[in-house]
Amino acid sequence: MKNPLVLLLGAIVLLPFVVRPVIAAEIWLFAIFGLGLNLLLGYTGLLSFGQATFFGSAAYVAGWLLKHYAINVFLALGIGTGVGALSALLVGYLCVQRSGLYFIMLTFALNQLFFFIAYQWTSVTGGEDGMPGVPRPAFLGIDFKDPMNYYVFVALLFLASLWVMRRVVESPFGKILQAIRENEVRATAVGYNAPRFKLAAFVIGGAFSGLAGVLYAMLFGIVPLEAIGFVASGNVVFATLIGGSGSLYGPVIGSFVFIWLSESMSVVWERWPLLLGVAFVIVVLFFRGGVVEAWSRFWRWQSSRQRA
Amino acid sequence: MNLLLGQILNGIATGMLYALMGLGLSLITGILNIPNFAHGALFAIGAYLLVTTVGLIGNFWLALLIAPLGVAALGLLIEYAGIRRLYAAGHDYQLLFTFGLALILSEGIIVVWGPVGFSHLPPPILRGGVDLGFTFYPKYRLFVMVVAGLLVLATWLFLEKTRYGAIMRAGIENKEMVSLLGIDIHRLFTAAFALGAYLAGIAGALTAPIRGINPNMGVDMLGIAFVVVALGGLGNLLGAIAAGLLIGVAQAVVAAYWTEASTAVIFAVMALVLLVRPQGMFGIR
Repeated sequence: MKNPLVLLLGAIVLLPFVVRPVIAAEIWLFAIFGLGLNLLLGYTGLLSFGQATFFGSAAYVAGWLLKHYAINVFLALGIGTGVGALSALLVGYLCVQRSGLYFIMLTFALNQLFFFIAYQWTSVTGGEDGMPGVPRPAFLGIDFKDPMNYYVFVALLFLASLWVMRRVVESPFGKILQAIRENEVRATAVGYNAPRFKLAAFVIGGAFSGLAGVLYAMLFGIVPLEAIGFVASGNVVFATLIGGSGSLYGPVIGSFVFIWLSESMSVVWERWPLLLGVAFVIVVLFFRGGVVEAWSRFWRWQSSRQRA
Repeated sequence: MNLLLGQILNGIATGMLYALMGLGLSLITGILNIPNFAHGALFAIGAYLLVTTVGLIGNFWLALLIAPLGVAALGLLIEYAGIRRLYAAGHDYQLLFTFGLALILSEGIIVVWGPVGFSHLPPPILRGGVDLGFTFYPKYRLFVMVVAGLLVLATWLFLEKTRYGAIMRAGIENKEMVSLLGIDIHRLFTAAFALGAYLAGIAGALTAPIRGINPNMGVDMLGIAFVVVALGGLGNLLGAIAAGLLIGVAQAVVAAYWTEASTAVIFAVMALVLLVRPQGMFGIR
């Protein structure tokens, strides 16, 4: 636990040999999604329950362009990131003006707006059947149809995202976000325009969600309606909370646990969301603080035992 | 023109149901200060309980009485066994808990009643329609309008004219003060959650003969209840009615001309109102 980066690199190298490369890739792209949410939840103190809006919008737009116009992979990622940021700008503009419970409800309600548009606009999105046939075009001779190649690609993008997010949260801008989280009134009194900073956090978080959404569409070759649904929004909140929203690596650990948990549960029973709901309830009632805190509690207990 | 008038009537009927949902949610949210993501699932349970009870005892009126009470009992249990332990936790954990409950309840519906929805007929006396001069209108919808209106009125009378209602309103304003005055705040929380669950349950029970029942009905209604609260304001009775009617009528009118957009329009109306008035229709808190 001394150097999380070494641990992380080890995990990236070993993971595709432990689980199928598809699942391994899903873990890292979901971690990118979680990093975006955690800028809001962990660093700005904004509980957004509508992150799937940005994830799904980006997946649909970039997936459609990939499918019909055979655009370049990096162009697709760029457009998806842009769509994520833009949709977050629209949603964020309406949400940051309210706070507390209103804020949470608004992010959910606007998520529903995007969901029902995707649900009804069947000629583009395929509605309930999803939008199949999203390709994974080769780039510079590298064939991304090979699961291992694509895994490496997703893992590298994850590392890049982690690096960018670290720069963001450690920058003066990141410190202001944390000041707003700690005490919004004081941050405002010092002269920072809190709603504008919250909106900026929204846009950055949306860009990360968008990137993850495009990677998801290319990974599975389809944009299912669930990609823009509220359950996806809830899942990323859950993953971030079980990892621990207080740290940069929290959502990474959370994504690990969550994807592993849901993949193994979905094999057991078709109605696995029920088990997921039970897991939510149990974690909340008994394991608040998440894996990171449980881990550090364990170490504190260990060291106090050694001293005794 | 007659089509439009008929749709506006429809909108008023569903709008009253939305108002009931929003009212219950607003009591829970305002008094307990938690985001209740299980509110839609309670609505769905109300509808399913009604259909099951009618099947068991064959009496719609008795079922309409029993089903919402069952939901209220469920609400009592949820508050007592779970939410009570989370008041000190942050909104994030409260949200995760109620969201987990919503998943359990809505998946539980599929396990118990199956994934396919079905329709349910109103009782024989409320089948068919009446001639209102400009349009021929289903009796059951008129019945829903009257019952929902009476329920809203009863809730208003309870909140404004009774001692316990006054305590509830005080609980929304200042919990500490209520507690300091020697009132058992935990019992108040339990009562508020049960009342909110009851209103969701009866809205669900009344909806079953109009739209039928299906496992998704809860989630769809959850978003609508959030819209009503976001527009109407927490604990604002008049706000809930106005917001409920606004989106109910908007939805019905749009449905007449562009059916596909009839659900999205609810959220679009909310976005538009908030664009002009970020603080909601009445600007309370």
